[in-house]
Amino acid sequence: MHSGGNASSLPLVGGAPEPTINQLSKPGRRASRFPKLDVPVTEINNPAIRNDKPSLPEVSEHDLVMHYSRLAHRNFAVDVGFYPLGSCTMKYNPRFADYVAGLNTFANSHPATPATFTQGNLEVLHELEKFLIEITGMDNATFQPPAGASGELTGLLIIKKYLEENGLSNKKDIIVPDSAHGTNPASAKMAGFNVVEVSTDIRGMVNIEDLRSLVNENTAGLMLTNPNTGGLFEENIMEISNIIHENGGLIYYDGANLNAIVGVCRPGDMGFDIVHSNLHKTFATPHGGGGPGSGPVAVKGFLKEYLPGPIVVQNSNGYDWYSPKSSIGRMHGYHGNFLVALRALVYMKLLGKEGLDTLGSYAVLNARYLSSVISKIIPLAYNEPCMHEFVATVKDLKKSHKIKAYDVGKALLDKGFHSPTIYFPLIIEEALMFEPTETQTVDTLDDLAETLKLIIEELQGEDVSLEEYPKNLPVGRPNELIPAKHLTVNWGDFELLELTE
Amino acid sequence: MFVPHSEIDLKKMFEELSISSLDDLFTHIPTTLKLNDGLNVPPTLSELESISHFESVESKNTQNLICFAGGGHYDVYLPHTVKTLTMRPEFMTSYTPYQAEISQGILQILFEYQSLICDLTDMELANASLYDGATSVAEAISVAINKTKRNGVVVSNGFNPNTKEVVNTLVDRSKFDIKYVDLIDYMFPEDYIFTEEDAAFVVSLPHYEGSAQDLTTIVKNAKAVGVITICYIDPSLLGILKTPGSMGFDIVVAEGQSMGSPLSFGGPTVGWFATKKELARLVPGRIIGETRDSNHTKTYVMTLRAREQDIRREKASSNICTNQTLNAVGSTIHLSWLGPQGLYEIGYQAIQKASYMKQQLLDHDINISNPNNSLREFIVQTSKPAVDVIIEMGNKGFLAGIKYSDNEILVAVTEKRTKSEIDKYVTSLQEVDNA
Repeated sequence: MHSGGNASSLPLVGGAPEPTINQLSKPGRRASRFPKLDVPVTEINNPAIRNDKPSLPEVSEHDLVMHYSRLAHRNFAVDVGFYPLGSCTMKYNPRFADYVAGLNTFANSHPATPATFTQGNLEVLHELEKFLIEITGMDNATFQPPAGASGELTGLLIIKKYLEENGLSNKKDIIVPDSAHGTNPASAKMAGFNVVEVSTDIRGMVNIEDLRSLVNENTAGLMLTNPNTGGLFEENIMEISNIIHENGGLIYYDGANLNAIVGVCRPGDMGFDIVHSNLHKTFATPHGGGGPGSGPVAVKGFLKEYLPGPIVVQNSNGYDWYSPKSSIGRMHGYHGNFLVALRALVYMKLLGKEGLDTLGSYAVLNARYLSSVISKIIPLAYNEPCMHEFVATVKDLKKSHKIKAYDVGKALLDKGFHSPTIYFPLIIEEALMFEPTETQTVDTLDDLAETLKLIIEELQGEDVSLEEYPKNLPVGRPNELIPAKHLTVNWGDFELLELTE
Repeated sequence: MFVPHSEIDLKKMFEELSISSLDDLFTHIPTTLKLNDGLNVPPTLSELESISHFESVESKNTQNLICFAGGGHYDVYLPHTVKTLTMRPEFMTSYTPYQAEISQGILQILFEYQSLICDLTDMELANASLYDGATSVAEAISVAINKTKRNGVVVSNGFNPNTKEVVNTLVDRSKFDIKYVDLIDYMFPEDYIFTEEDAAFVVSLPHYEGSAQDLTTIVKNAKAVGVITICYIDPSLLGILKTPGSMGFDIVVAEGQSMGSPLSFGGPTVGWFATKKELARLVPGRIIGETRDSNHTKTYVMTLRAREQDIRREKASSNICTNQTLNAVGSTIHLSWLGPQGLYEIGYQAIQKASYMKQQLLDHDINISNPNNSLREFIVQTSKPAVDVIIEMGNKGFLAGIKYSDNEILVAVTEKRTKSEIDKYVTSLQEVDNA
């Protein structure tokens, strides 16, 4: 299993670089054809109209298809290989969801179509809401937030408006663990709160004493993910939520790690008032190379009227839109990423009770197993049972052989695996964060561990130049300084830079 | 479902962990929190059963309404080639391209996307997508506020009301003063006076109502007092209209749905964002740059990362992380498929057909509020309440448009509409509104 066994024949091709679509352009070529204009031509006079044609490449359809297909061959993906990528839940995305998302009126409804004519779409959102509130232990949900960060901001704006309406505008502090995702403090700042960091204790959990010392009459709330970003279940979660609630604050669940607990326990039962879920993680919708996602927000009943509106309600005539009375306002131009929500519903229907009850358990089983085998190769950051992900560290290898987490990640790419998440959470030195998800076989997990063992041995070799890794991919390590310094962000920019330097 | 383990696999894993059941994984979770009977959800469905379930739900939507609604989302023809290439699993199931060496496909496409948008709008730097048109407007305002450190925001009233609501949600009105300026005769007033308190001027080209004007003078007046000027565009008219860059705008944003995404009930679509390099460090979201690897091979990477939330945390230019990459891939491939002639034709045919439709409506004694300076979109007056007309038109097979006021409907025409559809719409509307 020198290249990682059955998990990884090298999936990518490369060789010579692919030209840009602009470089493939030749005047007069085209892919597009349209029907002839079937109405009489009128003269259009408007001062905003241009006299020349827009600047776009001119390519044949076959050239276009070959170009983008060749680029596809230079891209790693869930359908191609294993992403042990902590915090990202890169599980298998069921193909069947593509079929459903392509059905005529699901794919092609204009968003301003009245509810009377879109009862199917509203039913999708209503049914998904029922699944989501049952899984998270909440009461009502909105599907407007198009991603997790937007869900966070939605939740924080709900906290803000709730406090204002209850005469508690003095409460301006949002407490965020020092191990939190960067979106947490960024969202809190965007919502106009002060960010207060709570430290992590030696076991890897929220430092309760520190939390007590930070909480006061100005505390608006706490943002937390459970399990936390170290992959550990916050065992004192009830105490944590009590501390916040006793001081009149609300507690927000960052759904980044929801996959660990689906069917095991629920944020609503832990005292969380607001929960966002990442449908593109927990509920298997494809990541799309960085998006689209969907970050629905579910709340306890007392916060329903603050949700961004409109939300779907069921009445005697079917489904309709309802505008919450104290709504924070819209978070999206229309109904959020509807087709992503639809795909998540397809996934939930396929899983049903049998699949959802055991979802978290199998995600944890895979991670616990992988942590056990990897702990024999490199040490884990915490000596605690992990949930759906875990953090290992190569800080000792850095001291002894100058091998950084970055180098290990790059060497893994060479063997057909995606790198684990590195340097996160920020509080762990030379962190490598692994999240296998429940859809990988035990053979693949073994292959990853075996490969990790081989490359760590290899990287410790006498004549090894760490910078040379990866060696077998379409490109090697990029020079990241050039574009940051010279803003080569547009075609022609780099060539211009070469001419001028 | 999708859990691959056989009994033999489970035995091996349980042995490694010295456990005898899945429950043994959770001895550290407080018993009171555990779900003893599991979740109250329906039983699993096989794929075969799911097909009939979802086809039946889909059939509850009214089928094949002929779309005359716009307001940012347009029924532009989306070629099969664009759809199938965009949905290649190497793109669709990939993660954010942090690992450049195995992500050159997505990175190069996003670089092409940025470059195409810059070429089309006469800008210098585009990001790799925002959520949608409405949130892009709010993000652009935030850039202007950060750049100028001023408190005033001048927004044209000629925007989709939903877009204005998103702006009101995302821009903190306890700190910033948003002034909505009414259009006069469907035009932004040429003599509007900007002040040195104003951070941003935001206007739509064409206006939500469908009217278009050359904004060069207004932009010049705004910039003279240091205001950052933001233009919201309809991408499917970029083949016809003067570019925002040529009118002097600093930032261009758009609802990019009509380029590469199906209508999708409004999402996922894509928010375009482009600007000048001088604002680079305030731009929200991911940006892709061109560089070289250690062998001097052309390589693309995510760049200017120090603006982003995962590094700057609460000091980031925006909280955006997950964006709308796949829809940006769609825009790239669609624009490349169209080419200059195709993009021109989409806009030209839409405007010609709208012009024909306006004449037909007038010939049938149906009033249009802005017949003269509107392009592909215009406001039709109704004698019955607009909401009722829209429902009755729906029953006749038309999505008549978007309610604009109690007795007005905003109607949009795309290149897809045929003369026969337009003729039928006009006679149907006459029947509905006179009945």
